[in-house]
Amino acid sequence: MKRRSWLGWGTAGLVALWSAVGVSLGAVVRFLTPSVFYEPPQSFKIGNPADFSFGPPTFLAEEKIFVFRDREKGFAVASAVCTHLGCTVGYFQDDQRFHCPCHGSVFAGDGAVQHGPAPRPLEWFEVTLARDGQLRVDKDHVVPAAYRLMV
Amino acid sequence: MTPLRDVWRSIVRRDPLSTDKGKSELVFLNLWLHIHPAKVKRENFKLKHTWYLGFITFYLFLILVTTGVALMFYYRPDAPQSYQDMKDLQFVVYLGSFLRNMHRWSAHGMVICVFLHMCRVFYTGSYKAPRQFNWVIGVFLFLLTLGLSFTGYLLPWDQLAFWAITVGSNIGGYAPLVGPRLKELLLGGHAVGESALLRFYVLHVAVLPSTMILLTMVHFWRVRKDGGLSRPVWKLKPAAAGPLVRIGAPAPAEAALVVVPASQDKTYGLMEVVTGKPIFETVTAEEEEDTVFSYPYAFFREAIALMATVTSVMAISLFWQAPLEELANPAKTPNPAKAPWYFLGLQELVSHSALLGGVVVPALAVLGLLAIPYLDTNPSRRPADRKWAIRAFTLFVVVNVVLIIIGTLFRGPGWALVPPWVHVSGAE
Repeated sequence: MKRRSWLGWGTAGLVALWSAVGVSLGAVVRFLTPSVFYEPPQSFKIGNPADFSFGPPTFLAEEKIFVFRDREKGFAVASAVCTHLGCTVGYFQDDQRFHCPCHGSVFAGDGAVQHGPAPRPLEWFEVTLARDGQLRVDKDHVVPAAYRLMV
Repeated sequence: MTPLRDVWRSIVRRDPLSTDKGKSELVFLNLWLHIHPAKVKRENFKLKHTWYLGFITFYLFLILVTTGVALMFYYRPDAPQSYQDMKDLQFVVYLGSFLRNMHRWSAHGMVICVFLHMCRVFYTGSYKAPRQFNWVIGVFLFLLTLGLSFTGYLLPWDQLAFWAITVGSNIGGYAPLVGPRLKELLLGGHAVGESALLRFYVLHVAVLPSTMILLTMVHFWRVRKDGGLSRPVWKLKPAAAGPLVRIGAPAPAEAALVVVPASQDKTYGLMEVVTGKPIFETVTAEEEEDTVFSYPYAFFREAIALMATVTSVMAISLFWQAPLEELANPAKTPNPAKAPWYFLGLQELVSHSALLGGVVVPALAVLGLLAIPYLDTNPSRRPADRKWAIRAFTLFVVVNVVLIIIGTLFRGPGWALVPPWVHVSGAE
C-alpha cells in the first residue's frame, strides 16, 4: 500500500472512529432522557369555586399550590415550591408571608423575596373557569402576582 | 497422603514459608497478595506516619459492599414500597437492622477516613513527585465516596431522603448551561419521584461502586509503581546536604571519580543503563537493610487493622440505630430540613446563595484540590520547608469543619441561627 493512500485511509478511519464515539455518547444521553414522563399533568381542575373559603389560603398538598380567595379580588393561585432549592414553603397567617423551612427564605404576600437566599419571587399560576364550572390551574402559565379571577 | 499433598501443591505453588524464597513467593505468586511488595521498609509500619487510614478506608468499603449486597436481598427500589422494606429490615428481617446499621455507620466512617487520609497525605507531602497523579485519583475517590453517600440516603424513601434529593438535584440545576438538563437526567423526570428512586438505586448499587473499584485498583497499583509508601517525614534529611549526583548528569569538574577496586572472585557485566532521573526516593545501603518480609510483618498489621475496623463498626451498630424518618411526604418539608452532617457545610453555603455556594465554591474547591500537586512544586516534603502550603491546607480543613459545625449544631427551624443549648419549641 502506498504511503499516501495509507495516510488517507488512516485519517478517514480515525474520523469515523471519533464520530462513532460522539454519536454513541449522544445516544447514551438521549437514552437516559425519558421519552414519556409519567407525571401528573401541569394543567388540572381543583374543584368548584364554592369549595374554597375566604380568608386564609387553601393549601393543596398534591399539587403544591395555595389557593387564595378574596371577596373583592377573586381567585389567585400561588406556587408552594421555594424558588431557591424546591422545598415546600408554608403560609403564615399571622404575618401573611411565606416561609421556607430549608434555608430561611421569606416571601411577601405577593410572592416577592423579602429575606434569605431565594433568587426569584414565588410563582403565580393562571387560574381559569373550566366549562363544567370547576377551577382549572395551569402550571405552565405563570402570571403576574396581580392576576385575579373573579367568579 | 501423597494425593492430598499433590492437590495442595497444585493450588499453592511455592516453597515452604519457613524459607525466604517461600515468603517471597507467597506474595508474588498469589493474585490477592501480589499488590504488596515482597519486602517492606520497617519505617512504613509506623502508626504515626500513616495511621493506617488508607487500609481502614478500604476495609470500610469492603464492609459496605458486603452489607450492601445483603440489604439488596430485601430491598425494592419502588416508592413507597422501599419504605416498607426498610421497616421490614428494621423489625422483621433476621439481623436486618444490624446489617443496615453497619452499612450506615461504615458509610459515615468512610467519609471521615477518606478525608483524614487526604489530610495525612497532604501533611506528609506524599502527593509530591512522582505521586502527583495518585493524589488526583484520590480526590476522585473522595468525590465518589460522597456520591455513594448521597445516592445511598435517597433509598430509604423517608423524609430525609426525599428532601435531601430535592435540594441536591435543585443545586445541580443551578449549574451553568447543563444544569436543567443534568437535573432531568438525574431524576428521570421533573420532580423527585419513582424514576428518581430507580436511577439513584442503579447509580448506588452498580455504576458508582464499579467505578470506585476500578479507581481503587488504579490507586493501589500507583502506590506500588510510584515507589511504595512515602518515607516518614522525620526520616527525611534536610535538603542541600551535598551535591546530588544523578545518573546521566555531567559530573562536577572538581568531583573525583571514586574507583572501587574490582574483586578477584566476581564476574562483572553491564546489565542495563537507564537514563533519566530515578523516580524512587534514594535508599542508601544501610536503609536497605532495614526491610522485612511482608509475610508475616505487613500482613499481621493489616489483619489487626481489619479486625479493629470490623469490630468497631459492629460494636457501634449494636448500640446505635441508623436513623429512619417518616415516610416521604412531598407536601410537607420537615423544619429544619437537614442533610446528613457531611453535607451540612455545603448546605450552610447554599443557604447564602445557591449558585455561589452550591456550584461555584464547591467546583473551585475540587479544582483546587486536584491542582495541589501541580501548583505546589516545592520538592521538599519536610514540614519546615513548606509552611505556607501547610497553612493554606489547614485553613481549608478548618473552614470545612467550622461550616459543618455551624450547619449541624447552630442552625434551627427555618435555618435560623440557634445555639445548640437553646431549645426551640415546636421544632420537628
